[in-house]
Amino acid sequence: MGKLAGVLVALLLIGVPIAADVPIETVGRVESLPPRGDHWIWVADIMYERNVLVDLDGDDQSMLGMVSVGYGPGHPVHPRAGAEFYVPETHYSRGTRGERTDVLTIYDATTLLPVDEVVIPPKRALPAITMATAALSDDDRIAAVFNLTPATSLSIVDVVERRFAGEIATPGCSLAYAGTAHRFHMVCQNGALLTVTLDEHGNEVGKRRSDPFFDPETDPVTEKAVRVGDTWIFVSYDGYAHPVDVSGADPVFGERWSLLSDADRDEQWRIGGNDHLAVHEGSGRLYSLVHQGGVDTHKHPGSELWVYDIAKRERLQRIELLNPGLTYLGTSLEFGRDWVWPFNGLYEWLLSSAPMPGIDLIEVTADDAPLLVTAAQFSGSLAVYDALSGEFLRRFNTGNVTNFGLHLPSGSSR
Amino acid sequence: MNRFDQLAEDALRGLAKRTSRRGFLSRLAAGILGSAAIPLLPVARRAAAAREPAPGEPDPSTDEGDPTNCAYWRHCAIDGFLAACCGGSHISCPPGTEMSPITWLGTCRNPADGKDYVVSYNDCCGKGHCGNCFCQRDEGEKPVYYTHKSNAINWCMGRVGVAYNSTVAVVVGMSSESGQRK
Repeated sequence: MGKLAGVLVALLLIGVPIAADVPIETVGRVESLPPRGDHWIWVADIMYERNVLVDLDGDDQSMLGMVSVGYGPGHPVHPRAGAEFYVPETHYSRGTRGERTDVLTIYDATTLLPVDEVVIPPKRALPAITMATAALSDDDRIAAVFNLTPATSLSIVDVVERRFAGEIATPGCSLAYAGTAHRFHMVCQNGALLTVTLDEHGNEVGKRRSDPFFDPETDPVTEKAVRVGDTWIFVSYDGYAHPVDVSGADPVFGERWSLLSDADRDEQWRIGGNDHLAVHEGSGRLYSLVHQGGVDTHKHPGSELWVYDIAKRERLQRIELLNPGLTYLGTSLEFGRDWVWPFNGLYEWLLSSAPMPGIDLIEVTADDAPLLVTAAQFSGSLAVYDALSGEFLRRFNTGNVTNFGLHLPSGSSR
Repeated sequence: MNRFDQLAEDALRGLAKRTSRRGFLSRLAAGILGSAAIPLLPVARRAAAAREPAPGEPDPSTDEGDPTNCAYWRHCAIDGFLAACCGGSHISCPPGTEMSPITWLGTCRNPADGKDYVVSYNDCCGKGHCGNCFCQRDEGEKPVYYTHKSNAINWCMGRVGVAYNSTVAVVVGMSSESGQRK
């Protein structure tokens, strides 16, 4: 007996030379991303302080990967080409206190590793909006990060040379929208647009302030503009679209047009939401979140999505939005999909019967079979639609506690 | 629109008013557990009724007179956690935080005297999110580029650091501007 036990122990120690059903594996393997898919989207979570990358064509609850971005909303800027992307981040040496360090972190777009960083002044603005706090020049070379202390300025980074190029004071003007060449545009408190022109190394060449193109006192434009080609479209609280052509040295302001008819206004339809606009450049469509409400409801979430032909300036479609789904601490609360009929429809019935939480965020993928993605900030779940037909397709859980921002992995519209 | 729809819409609008900037986790709880109704419960009202009315203030047993209620009159352009629910009061920050000296302003009408007041919404900074009593109201609120009237800005900045905890609502003057736009 003692001999047998000794043999068994020896076998356990040296391994049993018999055929295993499961192949012996190697410890330490880490995935990289496959080639980018058309329906990938980054979803920011301000509670988990991260941005999650999901493939909307994938399984319901699978993410491709994530980056941790520190305090505040993580607004990634994605180059049109290249194998990396950039996130302005704020970190403290002791969590919420200690020494503050702001960086523009350079992430490898395949491994999602932070491969480099450029330290910038610890001044970047942390507003609760998910766009226009940073921008990248069209040639993917110069990044601008909006600062607010409350003095306003831009931190300029040459991302190719990995170098902080300098800070440019922009008194009275805020945010950052990419223009063509090495120009960035900012909205000023008096309704003007400030154009900051840089050379290829990020040095300031000039600043020029336009005449006001809207009245910030009576009908301000929201910060949530979208870009189609070389035109930025700003939309005002009262539902007027203000196209701004930024192809030249100076912006050209097009005639404003209304997203709402008189009948719509009589019915109290208004634009609103934290990220209430999206575009699909291929089909020339503008998507706008709307709700019925009174004055000062410019941040109310949407109950419908209205789709416009940008060239014709007319509405094509109204999409009634569905509940994006309920989650708790990142876990979907969906149940019973495999239950016997009619109980398999119980969750859907519950969602359709519950008060509509309202959609805060929308985005549309840039491909020829585009998906419309909608999100409510308090849920980690997305609702996905066919962006051309408006047909609801599915729900998708991101694992987030909050869905605070939607960003495409290519720098197409923002 | 039937009555149920109206009730649902009212619940949604209540939720929507409190959604946007910083109450993400609290909104989750509010959305799922219906904690929005808690201030309406008898126990909360009794607690409010026990307080003495302050000079010039509405009856603290009413929503418009209760600093822990989103409907409190001074909160007309607030966006954040109410300091009064976080260990502070409507004019003082919770222990261990620092009040940001720079801020955004709202103009709110006091129902007790019908006058418009300028309200300073100073953020309490240096600790994480309070999580209690998230409130968002946007009366007269402007976008980020209209800096001093934007409630979407994290006003914890400069010396006090960026970590946001909660917000107070301090009366800093009278206003000739209307706080009750229609």
